[in-house]
Amino acid sequence: MEATYIKRKKDGRIHIKSGNKGDRVLRSTLGVLTILTFVAFLFFNYAGLELGSAITETAYNLKVMFFEPALSHFGLREAIYQVGITLSLAFLATIIGAIIAFFLSLMAATNLAPLGLTRIIRVFVAFIRAVPTVLWVLIFAIAAGLGSEAAVLGMLFHSIAYLVKAFSEAFEEVDKGILEAVRSTGGNWWHIVKSGVLPSTFTYLLSWIFLRFEINFGVAVAMGAAAGAGGIGFDLFMASSFYFDMREVGFITYAILIVAFLLEVVSTRLKKRFFPATSD
Amino acid sequence: MSLLRVEGLGKSYTADKQILKNINFEIKAEELVSIIGPSGAGKSTLLRCMNRMVEFSEGKIMFNNRDVGSLDKKELRNVRANIGMVFQHYNLVPRLTVIENVLHGRFGYKTTLQGLLGRYTEAEKERAFYLLEKLGIHEHAYKRCDQLSGGQQQRVGICRALIQEPKLILCDEPIASLDPNSSKIIMDLLKSISTEMGITCLVNLHQVDVAKHYSDRIIGLNKGEIVFTGTSHELNEEQINKIYGTKTEDLITA
Repeated sequence: MEATYIKRKKDGRIHIKSGNKGDRVLRSTLGVLTILTFVAFLFFNYAGLELGSAITETAYNLKVMFFEPALSHFGLREAIYQVGITLSLAFLATIIGAIIAFFLSLMAATNLAPLGLTRIIRVFVAFIRAVPTVLWVLIFAIAAGLGSEAAVLGMLFHSIAYLVKAFSEAFEEVDKGILEAVRSTGGNWWHIVKSGVLPSTFTYLLSWIFLRFEINFGVAVAMGAAAGAGGIGFDLFMASSFYFDMREVGFITYAILIVAFLLEVVSTRLKKRFFPATSD
Repeated sequence: MSLLRVEGLGKSYTADKQILKNINFEIKAEELVSIIGPSGAGKSTLLRCMNRMVEFSEGKIMFNNRDVGSLDKKELRNVRANIGMVFQHYNLVPRLTVIENVLHGRFGYKTTLQGLLGRYTEAEKERAFYLLEKLGIHEHAYKRCDQLSGGQQQRVGICRALIQEPKLILCDEPIASLDPNSSKIIMDLLKSISTEMGITCLVNLHQVDVAKHYSDRIIGLNKGEIVFTGTSHELNEEQINKIYGTKTEDLITA
């Protein structure tokens, strides 16, 4: 006799999905999006578009950019100096952010602080994280004026929020037996943090800080252009929007790429060293 | 004169369930007292009430002529410094060295700043090495704790308790995660701590025979109440039945 709990299609093949509500919602959402995509193309304004020349010219621009990179408005030394400025912006925001985030995250970890306080800080931090970094920079620009100060402040703000979440979650992973042991010897809260929490989580904190540094470098490039913070981002903005110098854009892009690549290599190494289980 | 006196102790986490009910006992100095009972009887909670790692709801605990329940933060730290604690899972900081972990036992005597800077006196360091040598693990002093075996880690835990220069050591199932050989070493150590160093030990145990062999007195706990208290000789089959709610033949006692 056939067991009734096997679900079959009409042609007798066996279903392997349970066919629950989630599946149906997902499928109908994808269906609606597909239809909308096709419909959207019908409503675009195609006046003035010559597809043939658009494609060839874009291809030509890309070719100039990436196969003939050159500097025309400033020298190599200046370029390196500007990359240094961008790195410094990212470094400042990360390191100050990390220090402030460390103390805040102690107050946001449920095993180290009263529940009420952790909730307040978490809500506050979630709010800061929900607003993009660029917006924070522009908000701080009202007080500090457009420039590197506003950029660092804005990046700092977002870095703090990001790191508080990462740090406090790392703190909560600390074996509560260790906390109990230090407490039972008569140690106070600072003793617990210094000798129980910090040694157990130090490598995690370092890794998170480095990851944030990597993110901040990318943001600092964008801030150079968007908020006039200077650095290589500003040069990129000038080369592409004012001088229309595709060769320079290409060169700067490569410079940023190399730095980003180096940061990536370092952070991957750090991760491999400190979390061998999570990195592949 | 009693070192520790517990009167009418009660503890409940939620209103409808009482973990400990009307606990009364007295422990004299230099005694080794075991608490036995099934899992969930409240042994760990009882132990942690002694130094207020767990706040008790009713009753009174007198330790060294001080009312533990009415202490303020500073006095409580002082009392905790006088009570060592040894845990089932050792609770050492795995990334730190053995000697650092032992010195953590001095925190009760340190100000915040001294603790943060890791300032330990030479006398404290000497004492730490002396204790490590006495427990036979001095050659591992600079190893990280996660490189040690369970038995060795437990001895580090005991060193951390001893360097507090406590009057009482609370042991929460100190041998529950150890092999028989290490268990014997640890229990022998605890016995000699109580007889030679004159430090009172209050030990939670799962092994009835171990409790009988080592303790001066045994307290039997069931469902939050003391159902037996007396010497090892007085702990007969009938009493064990009462504590565990089953016949002795059905238990693994060693």
